[in-house]
Amino acid sequence: MKLLIETSNKNDIDLDCDGIILPLKDYSVESITYYTLDEIEVISKKTNKEIFIKINKNLMNKDIPNIKDILIKLDKIKISGIFFYDLAILQLVRELNLSINLVWNQTHMVNNYKTCDYYYSKGIKYALLGKEITLEEIQDIIRKSKINCMVEVVSKPSVAVSYRHLITNYYKDLGKTSTNKLQIKEKVSGLKFDLEEDNNGTSFFLDTITNGTSIIKDLYQANCPYIIMREYGIDNFKELVADTMKYTSNKCIDDDYINKYKKLGDSTNFFFKKTIYKVK
Amino acid sequence: MSKKIELLSPAGDIERLKVTLLYGADAVYIGGQKYSLRANATNFSINEIKEGCNFAHKLGKKVHLTLNIVFHNEDMSGVKEYIKEVVDAGIDAFIVSDPFIISYIKKKYPNVEVHLSTQNSTTNYKAVEFFEGEGVDRVVLARELSKDEISYIIKNTNVDIETFIHGAMCTCFSGRCALSNYVTNRDANRGGCAQVCRFAFQVKDEKDFTMATKDMNMAKYIGDLIDIGVTSMKVEGRMRSLYYLATVIGTYRNIIDDYYDETLTEEKIKIYEDRLAKVANRETSSHYFLKEADYTDQYYTGRVEVSNQDYLGQVISYDKDKQLLKFIERNYFEVGDTIEVFTPAGEHLDFILEELFDDEMNSIPVARHPDNIYYLRVDTLINIPTYSMIKIVSRRKDNE
Repeated sequence: MKLLIETSNKNDIDLDCDGIILPLKDYSVESITYYTLDEIEVISKKTNKEIFIKINKNLMNKDIPNIKDILIKLDKIKISGIFFYDLAILQLVRELNLSINLVWNQTHMVNNYKTCDYYYSKGIKYALLGKEITLEEIQDIIRKSKINCMVEVVSKPSVAVSYRHLITNYYKDLGKTSTNKLQIKEKVSGLKFDLEEDNNGTSFFLDTITNGTSIIKDLYQANCPYIIMREYGIDNFKELVADTMKYTSNKCIDDDYINKYKKLGDSTNFFFKKTIYKVK
Repeated sequence: MSKKIELLSPAGDIERLKVTLLYGADAVYIGGQKYSLRANATNFSINEIKEGCNFAHKLGKKVHLTLNIVFHNEDMSGVKEYIKEVVDAGIDAFIVSDPFIISYIKKKYPNVEVHLSTQNSTTNYKAVEFFEGEGVDRVVLARELSKDEISYIIKNTNVDIETFIHGAMCTCFSGRCALSNYVTNRDANRGGCAQVCRFAFQVKDEKDFTMATKDMNMAKYIGDLIDIGVTSMKVEGRMRSLYYLATVIGTYRNIIDDYYDETLTEEKIKIYEDRLAKVANRETSSHYFLKEADYTDQYYTGRVEVSNQDYLGQVISYDKDKQLLKFIERNYFEVGDTIEVFTPAGEHLDFILEELFDDEMNSIPVARHPDNIYYLRVDTLINIPTYSMIKIVSRRKDNE
């Protein structure tokens, strides 16, 4: 099982791990730190790690010519795959006959093995599973689907994306100068959300760390090919990455790791909690 | 000019299905009791789907069925059997978001149309091309697109394009929001959305943060949508009332027909907009159609909704000889009020109410009990069928 990381600090891409995720500037959302194509090219020459590029915004018609050029350039760089949301990416990769591997990354939609297999049959090699499904569902997908699954185990999860500039609008109403960050708190649940705004709109992150360190062993035993950790909002990320690499390379037998990382909090997100949809 | 544009109405139950088709919808979209993104609406049983399809088909109209949840493993169990049941019941099209389900339906039932749900938030022509290649017959575009973007997609692809024209909007991209899951544990992508984007949130040392959007209203731009080649115009609101749907669908029917007849004037548009405004419970906007949605398209003071008291009653029958209109009451009104009766055929009749009777034909001054049967006297040659609606124009006290 390999560990991929998405860092907030660009220096942290050198941390000891199996691979890094680099969100492409102007074409990605739900991230904190973005990389230009030139930066990606430089990094690809310097590292032996697997490199995955994230291009996960909802693309508009005007983006398509640029995306086409970007995909052609990325095809010549040594990368392991592209995380994509918009089906235009898959269409272009097929149309241009590129050899880039793709990661199906439709954030809240990657929830069943049949659809994973559908995308696998379209030539997609990987799927980043949704964060709103249970561990049992994840294990089922890993077991039943041919696609190579990725599971985000530690992060402040991204929960929504709006095309609207919600922070700008809020401050305009207040008659104040806007910033690009805002924390909001839902009154009943007490949950806090961090909002980040840029030209692509507003991304929402839950301000609670999903601590999936305790399920890494289950994923390892299920032969999950990749786990992901994101640095945003995590203190001592460097230590977490090093410890996780050690833990997984030792077949996840060291319970001290789980005990140590209880400090990340007790939120296991939806790993052990099913969502409901009928309320009557 | 190519084929006349389709007016597509929501229908939360069999009565709404019939009413909206009578009021001029060319097709309705409904949810079955499984796999629909309005899990908490009444929704249709298989027998009701059959009844609805028979009713629609006799009128030369169509029924689309939503099968647009984002499937979990467990949801896959039984879905093939369900698809067969609803195909056998007579539905004309599925509205689907999951591509596995799309491919299954297209292989197994090639004569049934598949429409890509707006849940996929399709925003560009290359994504449309992808689904075209998968056999999709129609794509319901994301609500974040401008007129030029929609037009470009239509010019550069070969599938039918459907756009929303009226109703509530999501703040976030459809399908790309799990706020409901996190805040209420209700799964937004499986029909349980709790509309968290309409909540007010605390901000430290500042006024509450809200992001609720105004509703969409495209009455002014129907001609533009027809001209750029949109195939179908969709009204949001499977859980809306009969009166709301009758008004909205009837009004858009008028606008579309007037546009094709070249009789749509600025003055008429104002009348139509006024009708739509009277059933709206929020302010409206065209959002992204002419510009990027901005500051003006949202609310900043929490939940701002007004309940509508204009709806007075629903007609059960009209006896021309006795000049008596039988109706079921919805809101208080009294003798001396100026009221309007409007019919599914688009006729509108205004008059001052002079005589009102209870169900035993006793003359009464006021209809004050919702759901009770009353009669009123009206002398007209207009045919006033069942499902005509009665609304207030002005109150007696304001008339005096």
